[in-house]
Amino acid sequence: MPMIEIKNVSKAYGAFKVLTNCTTNVEKGDVVVVCGPSGSGKSTLIKTVNGLEPFQAGDIVVDGISLSDARTNLPKLRSRVGMVFQNFELFPHLSILDNLCLAQEKVLNRNRSEAEIKGKALLDRVGLIAQAEKFPGQLSGGQQQRVAIARALAMDPICMLFDEPTSALDPEMVNEVLDVMVALAKEGMTMMVVTHEMGFARKVADRVIFMDRGEIVEDAKQTEFFGQPRSERAQQFLSKILQH
Amino acid sequence: MGSVLSTIGRYLPAPTTIFLLLLTIVVAPLVLGPMLFTLLGQVVSVIVAILTFLIPNFDGDVINRSWQYLFLEGLRFTLMLTVYATVLGVILGTILALMRLSGIKALDWFATGYTTLFRSLPLVLVIFWFYFLLPYIGGWVWGLERPMQVGAFNSALITFTLFEAAYFAEIMRAGIQSIPKGQAAAGYALGLNYWQVMGLVVLPQAFRNMLPVLLTQTIILFQDTSLVYVLSLTDFLGAASKIAQRDGRLVEMYLFAAVIYFLISFSLSLLVKRLQDRVAIVR
Repeated sequence: MPMIEIKNVSKAYGAFKVLTNCTTNVEKGDVVVVCGPSGSGKSTLIKTVNGLEPFQAGDIVVDGISLSDARTNLPKLRSRVGMVFQNFELFPHLSILDNLCLAQEKVLNRNRSEAEIKGKALLDRVGLIAQAEKFPGQLSGGQQQRVAIARALAMDPICMLFDEPTSALDPEMVNEVLDVMVALAKEGMTMMVVTHEMGFARKVADRVIFMDRGEIVEDAKQTEFFGQPRSERAQQFLSKILQH
Repeated sequence: MGSVLSTIGRYLPAPTTIFLLLLTIVVAPLVLGPMLFTLLGQVVSVIVAILTFLIPNFDGDVINRSWQYLFLEGLRFTLMLTVYATVLGVILGTILALMRLSGIKALDWFATGYTTLFRSLPLVLVIFWFYFLLPYIGGWVWGLERPMQVGAFNSALITFTLFEAAYFAEIMRAGIQSIPKGQAAAGYALGLNYWQVMGLVVLPQAFRNMLPVLLTQTIILFQDTSLVYVLSLTDFLGAASKIAQRDGRLVEMYLFAAVIYFLISFSLSLLVKRLQDRVAIVR
């Protein structure tokens, strides 16, 4: 059984179709990179996986739990699916450590000391233990995004969603975030990553999904995708972003 | 001490900080009351000296005779009404703001209607209406045979709470909307439910952003409480007015009242400025 099953998902704002009949699977332990031109619906697709974006047709099943089922406990499902946002979205009124502890305490009902031990271990892992008492505004973008990854991992997620995690970063900070993600992928975390970082895709992706105008145009093994994309649109996209 | 307080302030959500502030305002007078009272007497005599120096034929005696009554009866009433109405008004205002932003049409319409209505009526009119209507409404609701005894203070408190809530609601709504949507999304993505997202993520930030505006509105409320004179209640201005009429010293009493209102409002607005720098969130 795949970890994430996306089955014939469609979504529209009025007459404007954002997603059209999208179908794909993410197996346990797989890293799937979603790419495509802006406005292609890739961010919308990844946000439907944990129910942040509703959809009108089709179904998404995460670890056997259907999102279109009205009885599904959405907060509980979301607490098991980690998500990292383009703009980090750390809570600016809380210290770094409190950012990591908040949901552990309020959602998983861990006590404070348990949550702190977990939080500090993860901060150590992303190399930011020295910043534990600081506030998000005092950290660089790259550091904030590493904290955001640690915050998601603190919930012991069964899979991780990344929505353009490096797009809002200054170029010199991209690698420190990608390094954390590569390490995570090598440990066997199931990941769905919306990104333009083709170097990252080459290094760790098992599959690459190419989207355009709300449709999944190409869904191929990483080697096939970079070797010989089947569709013309994917070929054009690749030639544009791989020129430099 | 200051650093301890600011450390505590950062870890507590903003409403708790406000509560602590209010607690200090209420408890401090009990402990430091006598000391402050002596100090207040000295401040008053300085004000009287300055006014006597500046204004020809100024009779400072009337103030020296009456200042204790003005502060103990009048100002105490004014401050009590201000603090109670602010606390209750902020609570009701937050509920109204959440109703407006709930996306549920019936709640949205009710809250919109409420704020529009109260913001379109003069305060004095609302004070009158409630003073005369509340006993009848209360009597009708509880099924009494005669109009309910509400009392002038309760009537004023209810009026100011309901009226200010309309203004606080608009302030809170702007505050909540000023928090980026991604913040709520991040809260939901971690598995928090609606109330947790509001109470732990959105409102603490909104309160911090809004604190200066909320306090400015409170200063306006502090001045507006003087309108209770239409109900013959003895607030600070009412007390000054009574002495003025009794002793025929209108110029002295109204000047003195103006100086006190100015001093309190001005120092509060200075406080707002300092607070603004301290609670600001670095983004």
